[in-house]
Amino acid sequence: MSHDLPAIIDSIYRAESRRVFATLVRLLGDFDAAEEAMHEAFASAVEQWAADGIPDNPRAWLVSAGRFKAIDAARRKGRFQELQPEIAGRIDQVASSNAAKAGEDIEDDRLRLIFTCCHPAIDPSIQLPLTLREVCDLTTEEIARAFLASTSTMAQRIVRGKAKIRDAGIPFVIPTAEELPDRIESVLTVIYLVFNEGYSATSGESVTRSDLSGEAIRLGRLLVELLPEPEVMGLLALMLLQESRRSARTTADGDVILLEEQDRELWNQGLIQEGQALVERALSTRRFGVYSVQAAIAAMHASARQASQTDWRQIVALYDALLTINPSPVVELNRAVAVAMCDGPEAGLVLIDAILNRGDLKEYHLAHAARADLCRRLGRTEEARAAYEDALALARQEPERRFLQNRLAQFQMRKS
Amino acid sequence: MKYMLLIYSRESAWTEEESMACREASSAVCHELAAKGQFRSASPLHPVATARTVRVRNGKRLITDGPFAETTEQLGGYFIIDVPDLDAAIAVASRLPPAAKGTVEIRPLFHLEGLPPERLAQRDSVAAAAETQYMFLCYDDEEAWNRAGPEALRAAMQEAVELTLELDRQGKFLSASPLHPVATATSVQVRNGKKHLIDGPFAETREVLGGYYLILARDDQEAIGIAARHSGARVGAVEVRRVVEMPGLASLGQATE
Repeated sequence: MSHDLPAIIDSIYRAESRRVFATLVRLLGDFDAAEEAMHEAFASAVEQWAADGIPDNPRAWLVSAGRFKAIDAARRKGRFQELQPEIAGRIDQVASSNAAKAGEDIEDDRLRLIFTCCHPAIDPSIQLPLTLREVCDLTTEEIARAFLASTSTMAQRIVRGKAKIRDAGIPFVIPTAEELPDRIESVLTVIYLVFNEGYSATSGESVTRSDLSGEAIRLGRLLVELLPEPEVMGLLALMLLQESRRSARTTADGDVILLEEQDRELWNQGLIQEGQALVERALSTRRFGVYSVQAAIAAMHASARQASQTDWRQIVALYDALLTINPSPVVELNRAVAVAMCDGPEAGLVLIDAILNRGDLKEYHLAHAARADLCRRLGRTEEARAAYEDALALARQEPERRFLQNRLAQFQMRKS
Repeated sequence: MKYMLLIYSRESAWTEEESMACREASSAVCHELAAKGQFRSASPLHPVATARTVRVRNGKRLITDGPFAETTEQLGGYFIIDVPDLDAAIAVASRLPPAAKGTVEIRPLFHLEGLPPERLAQRDSVAAAAETQYMFLCYDDEEAWNRAGPEALRAAMQEAVELTLELDRQGKFLSASPLHPVATATSVQVRNGKKHLIDGPFAETREVLGGYYLILARDDQEAIGIAARHSGARVGAVEVRRVVEMPGLASLGQATE
């Protein structure tokens, strides 16, 4: 057995290090001290487990070892640092009161850490990198690459976030029931941003990006387990249903394939079933919000074996519900497209033109692309071409640009 | 943890009645906090029109009338509270009437060793009618201090500690503390009953509030003289504000002494 020890410790590290870290952050109230203590705990595990064997509960052992390492470190540094009495006092105090619940509380600690990193007193531009760094254990370089920002910018934000949590006294707690509705929003927003960052990057240039979607789904599952609130279920369902289409939504070259043209055999039925079950649970509470309704729309698409079997009437009704909860021009646009599928392109076009004439979404490439598509179906070729060109001028992502260029090229071919 | 809550609002936005109602509501919050041992001190400040700002450059005092920075909303008062964490501080801040009209900036206090004990609680019993209470708001350029290095900062803080000890011997010291860097600030606004938080100070300025003193002086002249001796006056600026003393409020902090 013993010659396998390094491999076993490696796998324990992968599975447990972030949980141990989260608990140490709560116990020590300091990210850097917790990071150091966590690594020292694993280092001493290598020595001690070789001699004594692997403990029954490695996680609890690591938390306990990390705590003692931190006390040692604080005492060592204490002679030179002014803040020492405060930190050492806090560690001693928490160490005694938490000794008993170290094992059972650990999953909750990861959730506490998400709420701490997404605290509304932390700037939204910091919440996201901080969560990815501290909860998901992505490196600063990976985060910077994923968000196309410089490593030094991301490092600065993360350092600032950690200092704010420590010095401003942001607590490591799951908000109370009355605070939760306000607080859950920013957590869900951050998780969905992480997901979208991984999902909308269709170019396949960066592996990190698709990992982000997986990471977001993992966080979503963790949240549902600990907080089975309708919107938490709704968000997880939405992510699972979108993820289920990942391999069908682009060609091997990374070109976009529209929903109606996707090979539905490629959709991941396992993810779809899990997503649909969550949607049903969320909707049955009658306390659902934007994520649940968006997930319900995604579930409608998922349940159509062929594009022609899509229940567009039901989808329009869901967009109506979404508009009542969260009125926005983008939702209106999506509703208009669904109306076009029910009542014909003419009906959809009237709605889109009303949005554009109002001055909304003029800079949004998808509004022009949708308009172009409806004009194309109505045979209004010149208008369609002009709208595709407007869309192309606004689109930034390479695969989307290629898609629009293809559509324009088709007009040329038909003409000649 | 100790926090300073800084109350910013447009002075002209308050009618006489609203001001009185605000003071009553704030005073009720103070009594509630005091019952839990969480109250340290609080006061409105006299209008900014009476403020003086002191800088010392090349050994010379530069005194300007008015506050450190001209802003549309002005610092109108402060609270110092001792609560478990930022969430508790936010809960207090959002209950203060000015949060609905202006902004309450929350700043954690930085614990500095060697300062004399606070004398605020004794203020009510000291019949020092001849002396007025002043607040010094010390504005620093954090970047400049970062460049100067930790030794320079430590030396400046030590100098400030010595000034407070001297003032304490003269019976002029009430309270003082540095604040954590402005990056730790949280601003709270309540609009239509909904609480909004901003990560950062009420106003972004190059020189930022880095600490405060509460002292006693015979008149503006003496207060300005003391302010000019603060080590930070040579690098940044010290705004000198007269405090509106609320009868009975000072002794509330006694429980926590």
